[in-house]
Amino acid sequence: MKHFTYLTCTLVVACMVAAMVGWSMAAGNFLIPVIAIPLGIIVVLACRAQVGIVVADEREKRIRSKAALRTLEVVVIGGAIAAIILYSYVVSIPLTPIITGKLFNNDDGTQSMTIAEYKPGNVPGPQTLVRSKTISDLNAMNESEAMTYCTYVREGFSENENRGLAGMTLGFILAVLLATFGAFYLYYDRKY
Amino acid sequence: MKNRIKVLRAERDMTQEQLAELVGVTRNTIISIEKDKYCPSLKLGYRIARMFGVGIDEVFTYEEDKDGPAADNDE
Repeated sequence: MKHFTYLTCTLVVACMVAAMVGWSMAAGNFLIPVIAIPLGIIVVLACRAQVGIVVADEREKRIRSKAALRTLEVVVIGGAIAAIILYSYVVSIPLTPIITGKLFNNDDGTQSMTIAEYKPGNVPGPQTLVRSKTISDLNAMNESEAMTYCTYVREGFSENENRGLAGMTLGFILAVLLATFGAFYLYYDRKY
Repeated sequence: MKNRIKVLRAERDMTQEQLAELVGVTRNTIISIEKDKYCPSLKLGYRIARMFGVGIDEVFTYEEDKDGPAADNDE
Protein backbone atom coordinates (compact mmCIF):
# COMPACT_ATOMS: atom_id res chain seq x y z
CA MET A 1 0.00 0.00 0.00
CA LYS A 2 1.28 3.46 -0.86
CA HIS A 3 1.55 6.12 1.80
CA PHE A 4 -1.05 8.30 0.07
CA THR A 5 -3.52 5.38 0.08
CA TYR A 6 -2.84 4.92 3.80
CA LEU A 7 -3.57 8.60 4.45
CA THR A 8 -6.79 8.37 2.41
CA CYS A 9 -7.84 5.26 4.38
CA THR A 10 -7.11 7.07 7.67
CA LEU A 11 -9.20 10.05 6.58
CA VAL A 12 -12.12 7.84 5.49
CA VAL A 13 -11.99 5.83 8.74
CA ALA A 14 -11.81 9.02 10.83
CA CYS A 15 -14.83 10.47 9.00
CA MET A 16 -16.81 7.23 9.45
CA VAL A 17 -15.97 6.98 13.16
CA ALA A 18 -16.82 10.66 13.70
CA ALA A 19 -20.16 10.21 11.89
CA MET A 20 -21.01 7.08 13.88
CA VAL A 21 -20.08 8.70 17.19
CA GLY A 22 -22.08 11.81 16.30
CA TRP A 23 -25.09 9.76 15.28
CA SER A 24 -24.90 7.53 18.37
CA MET A 25 -24.72 10.60 20.66
CA ALA A 26 -27.78 12.07 18.95
CA ALA A 27 -29.59 8.72 19.21
CA GLY A 28 -28.50 8.22 22.82
CA ASN A 29 -26.74 4.93 22.09
CA PHE A 30 -23.43 5.08 23.94
CA LEU A 31 -22.35 1.56 23.05
CA ILE A 32 -21.47 2.45 19.43
CA PRO A 33 -18.49 4.77 20.28
CA VAL A 34 -17.09 2.07 22.57
CA ILE A 35 -17.02 -0.31 19.58
CA ALA A 36 -16.43 2.17 16.73
CA ILE A 37 -13.38 3.99 18.15
CA PRO A 38 -11.23 0.90 18.93
CA LEU A 39 -12.37 -0.65 15.63
CA GLY A 40 -11.28 2.50 13.77
CA ILE A 41 -7.89 2.44 15.52
CA ILE A 42 -7.44 -1.24 14.60
CA VAL A 43 -8.28 -0.55 10.93
CA VAL A 44 -5.85 2.39 10.80
CA LEU A 45 -3.08 0.34 12.43
CA ALA A 46 -3.76 -2.55 10.02
CA CYS A 47 -3.52 -0.15 7.06
CA ARG A 48 -0.30 1.29 8.49
CA ALA A 49 1.22 -2.16 8.72
CA GLN A 50 0.58 -2.59 4.98
CA VAL A 51 2.44 0.60 4.05
CA GLY A 52 5.76 -0.02 2.36
CA ILE A 53 9.08 1.69 2.75
CA VAL A 54 8.00 5.32 2.92
CA VAL A 55 6.86 5.22 6.54
CA ALA A 56 10.30 3.96 7.54
CA ASP A 57 12.08 6.72 5.63
CA GLU A 58 14.12 8.68 8.16
CA ARG A 59 13.93 11.98 6.28
CA GLU A 60 10.11 11.76 6.25
CA LYS A 61 10.17 11.01 9.96
CA ARG A 62 12.36 13.99 10.72
CA ILE A 63 10.22 16.27 8.53
CA ARG A 64 7.08 15.10 10.32
CA SER A 65 8.65 15.47 13.73
CA LYS A 66 9.78 19.02 12.96
CA ALA A 67 6.44 19.91 11.36
CA ALA A 68 4.60 18.51 14.41
CA LEU A 69 6.82 20.45 16.80
CA ARG A 70 6.38 23.70 14.89
CA THR A 71 2.61 23.12 14.74
CA LEU A 72 2.57 22.56 18.50
CA GLU A 73 4.55 25.75 19.09
CA VAL A 74 2.31 27.85 16.83
CA VAL A 75 -0.92 26.35 18.20
CA VAL A 76 0.15 26.71 21.84
CA ILE A 77 1.38 30.29 21.49
CA GLY A 78 -1.53 31.41 19.27
CA GLY A 79 -4.06 29.47 21.34
CA ALA A 80 -2.76 30.89 24.62
CA ILE A 81 -3.05 34.44 23.28
CA ALA A 82 -6.57 33.74 21.97
CA ALA A 83 -7.59 32.09 25.27
CA ILE A 84 -6.36 35.08 27.30
CA ILE A 85 -8.14 37.54 25.00
CA LEU A 86 -11.38 35.56 25.20
CA TYR A 87 -11.19 35.13 28.97
CA SER A 88 -10.46 38.84 29.45
CA TYR A 89 -14.07 39.51 28.40
CA VAL A 90 -15.12 38.06 31.75
CA VAL A 91 -12.68 39.93 33.99
CA SER A 92 -12.04 43.14 32.07
CA ILE A 93 -14.12 46.15 33.13
CA PRO A 94 -13.71 48.12 29.85
CA LEU A 95 -15.01 45.13 27.87
CA THR A 96 -18.01 44.59 30.15
CA PRO A 97 -21.36 46.21 29.29
CA ILE A 98 -22.46 48.89 31.74
CA ILE A 99 -25.82 48.14 33.31
CA THR A 100 -27.41 50.74 35.53
CA GLY A 101 -30.60 50.85 37.59
CA LYS A 102 -32.10 54.13 38.68
CA LEU A 103 -34.88 54.45 41.24
CA PHE A 104 -37.42 57.25 40.99
CA ASN A 105 -39.96 58.34 43.60
CA ASN A 106 -43.15 59.16 41.75
CA ASP A 107 -45.61 61.89 42.78
CA ASP A 108 -48.26 59.28 43.65
CA GLY A 109 -45.94 57.70 46.23
CA THR A 110 -44.92 54.70 44.09
CA GLN A 111 -41.36 53.87 43.03
CA SER A 112 -40.31 53.24 39.44
CA MET A 113 -37.00 51.90 38.19
CA THR A 114 -35.22 52.25 34.86
CA ILE A 115 -32.72 49.56 33.94
CA ALA A 116 -30.37 50.54 31.11
CA GLU A 117 -27.58 48.75 29.27
CA TYR A 118 -24.78 50.74 27.68
CA LYS A 119 -22.01 49.71 25.25
CA PRO A 120 -18.81 48.53 26.92
CA GLY A 121 -15.90 50.94 27.34
CA ASN A 122 -18.06 54.06 26.92
CA VAL A 123 -19.43 56.69 29.23
CA PRO A 124 -23.13 55.95 29.82
CA GLY A 125 -25.20 58.33 27.70
CA PRO A 126 -27.92 58.42 25.05
CA GLN A 127 -25.41 57.66 22.24
CA THR A 128 -24.10 54.52 23.93
CA LEU A 129 -27.46 53.21 25.11
CA VAL A 130 -28.18 49.67 23.89
CA ARG A 131 -31.56 49.14 25.53
CA SER A 132 -33.57 50.22 28.54
CA LYS A 133 -36.68 49.20 30.39
CA THR A 134 -38.73 51.14 32.90
CA ILE A 135 -40.71 49.35 35.57
CA SER A 136 -43.41 51.87 36.35
CA ASP A 137 -44.36 50.59 39.80
CA LEU A 138 -41.83 48.40 41.56
CA ASN A 139 -44.34 47.20 44.16
CA ALA A 140 -46.88 46.22 41.49
CA MET A 141 -44.43 44.58 39.10
CA ASN A 142 -46.12 42.38 36.50
CA GLU A 143 -44.73 39.08 35.20
CA SER A 144 -43.16 40.56 32.08
CA GLU A 145 -41.42 43.28 34.09
CA ALA A 146 -40.23 40.76 36.67
CA MET A 147 -38.73 38.59 33.93
CA THR A 148 -37.05 41.59 32.37
CA TYR A 149 -35.67 42.57 35.78
CA CYS A 150 -34.32 39.05 36.37
CA THR A 151 -32.82 38.44 32.98
CA TYR A 152 -31.47 41.89 32.18
CA VAL A 153 -28.11 41.46 33.82
CA ARG A 154 -27.77 37.86 32.69
CA GLU A 155 -28.52 38.73 29.05
CA GLY A 156 -26.21 41.73 29.17
CA PHE A 157 -23.27 39.63 30.28
CA SER A 158 -24.10 36.44 28.37
CA GLU A 159 -22.02 37.32 25.29
CA ASN A 160 -18.97 38.04 27.46
CA GLU A 161 -19.56 34.92 29.51
CA ASN A 162 -19.76 32.81 26.35
CA ARG A 163 -16.46 34.24 25.16
CA GLY A 164 -14.95 33.57 28.57
CA LEU A 165 -16.20 30.01 28.43
CA ALA A 166 -14.67 29.59 24.95
CA GLY A 167 -11.39 30.98 26.34
CA MET A 168 -11.42 28.57 29.27
CA THR A 169 -12.22 25.64 26.94
CA LEU A 170 -9.37 26.64 24.65
CA GLY A 171 -7.04 26.93 27.64
CA PHE A 172 -8.08 23.49 28.85
CA ILE A 173 -7.48 21.98 25.39
CA LEU A 174 -4.02 23.58 25.28
CA ALA A 175 -3.23 22.23 28.75
CA VAL A 176 -4.29 18.73 27.63
CA LEU A 177 -2.18 19.11 24.47
CA LEU A 178 0.88 20.15 26.48
CA ALA A 179 0.31 17.37 29.02
CA THR A 180 0.09 14.82 26.19
CA PHE A 181 3.27 16.23 24.67
CA GLY A 182 4.97 16.03 28.07
CA ALA A 183 3.83 12.44 28.57
CA PHE A 184 5.17 11.36 25.16
CA TYR A 185 8.37 13.32 25.75
CA LEU A 186 8.97 11.48 29.03
CA TYR A 187 8.10 8.16 27.39
CA TYR A 188 10.60 8.62 24.55
CA ASP A 189 13.13 10.13 26.95
CA ARG A 190 13.07 6.90 28.93
CA LYS A 191 12.97 4.76 25.80
CA TYR A 192 16.05 6.33 24.17
CA MET B 1 28.72 17.23 5.90
CA LYS B 2 30.05 16.63 2.39
CA ASN B 3 29.49 13.40 0.53
CA ARG B 4 30.58 11.58 -2.62
CA ILE B 5 27.38 9.65 -3.26
CA LYS B 6 26.86 11.15 -6.70
CA VAL B 7 30.39 10.18 -7.79
CA LEU B 8 30.10 6.69 -6.32
CA ARG B 9 26.74 6.22 -8.05
CA ALA B 10 28.16 7.38 -11.35
CA GLU B 11 31.09 4.98 -11.03
CA ARG B 12 28.64 2.09 -10.55
CA ASP B 13 26.12 3.39 -13.10
CA MET B 14 23.44 3.45 -10.45
CA THR B 15 20.39 5.71 -10.42
CA GLN B 16 19.09 7.54 -7.35
CA GLU B 17 15.99 5.38 -7.43
CA GLN B 18 18.05 2.17 -7.39
CA LEU B 19 20.21 3.35 -4.50
CA ALA B 20 17.11 4.46 -2.60
CA GLU B 21 15.53 1.04 -3.00
CA LEU B 22 18.71 -0.74 -1.94
CA VAL B 23 19.19 1.27 1.26
CA GLY B 24 15.48 1.44 2.09
CA VAL B 25 14.65 5.12 1.71
CA THR B 26 12.87 7.28 -0.85
CA ARG B 27 14.51 8.93 -3.84
CA ASN B 28 13.82 12.31 -2.23
CA THR B 29 16.07 11.36 0.67
CA ILE B 30 18.92 10.44 -1.68
CA ILE B 31 18.44 13.72 -3.57
CA SER B 32 18.50 15.68 -0.30
CA ILE B 33 21.62 13.89 0.93
CA GLU B 34 23.44 14.46 -2.37
CA LYS B 35 22.58 18.16 -2.23
CA ASP B 36 23.82 18.39 1.39
CA LYS B 37 20.36 19.46 2.45
CA TYR B 38 19.84 16.52 4.74
CA CYS B 39 22.31 14.83 7.04
CA PRO B 40 21.53 11.10 7.19
CA SER B 41 21.55 9.06 10.37
CA LEU B 42 24.62 7.01 11.21
CA LYS B 43 22.65 3.87 10.38
CA LEU B 44 21.74 5.11 6.90
CA GLY B 45 25.27 6.40 6.37
CA TYR B 46 26.65 2.92 7.04
CA ARG B 47 24.02 1.30 4.82
CA ILE B 48 24.98 3.60 1.93
CA ALA B 49 28.70 2.96 2.46
CA ARG B 50 28.14 -0.79 2.65
CA MET B 51 26.07 -0.65 -0.53
CA PHE B 52 28.99 0.92 -2.37
CA GLY B 53 31.43 -1.51 -0.72
CA VAL B 54 33.54 1.27 0.79
CA GLY B 55 34.18 2.70 4.26
CA ILE B 56 31.90 5.39 5.62
CA ASP B 57 34.75 7.92 5.61
CA GLU B 58 35.07 7.46 1.86
CA VAL B 59 31.45 8.48 1.38
CA PHE B 60 31.01 11.20 3.99
CA THR B 61 33.40 13.92 5.10
CA TYR B 62 32.66 16.02 8.12
CA GLU B 63 33.30 19.75 7.72
CA GLU B 64 32.77 22.14 10.59
CA ASP B 65 30.13 24.76 9.79
CA LYS B 66 30.91 28.45 10.07
CA ASP B 67 28.03 28.76 12.51
CA GLY B 68 29.26 25.84 14.58
CA PRO B 69 28.16 22.22 14.89
CA ALA B 70 24.75 23.12 16.33
CA ALA B 71 23.71 24.68 13.02
CA ASP B 72 23.68 21.28 11.28
CA ASN B 73 20.20 20.44 10.00
CA ASP B 74 18.67 22.97 12.36
CA GLU B 75 16.16 24.23 9.81
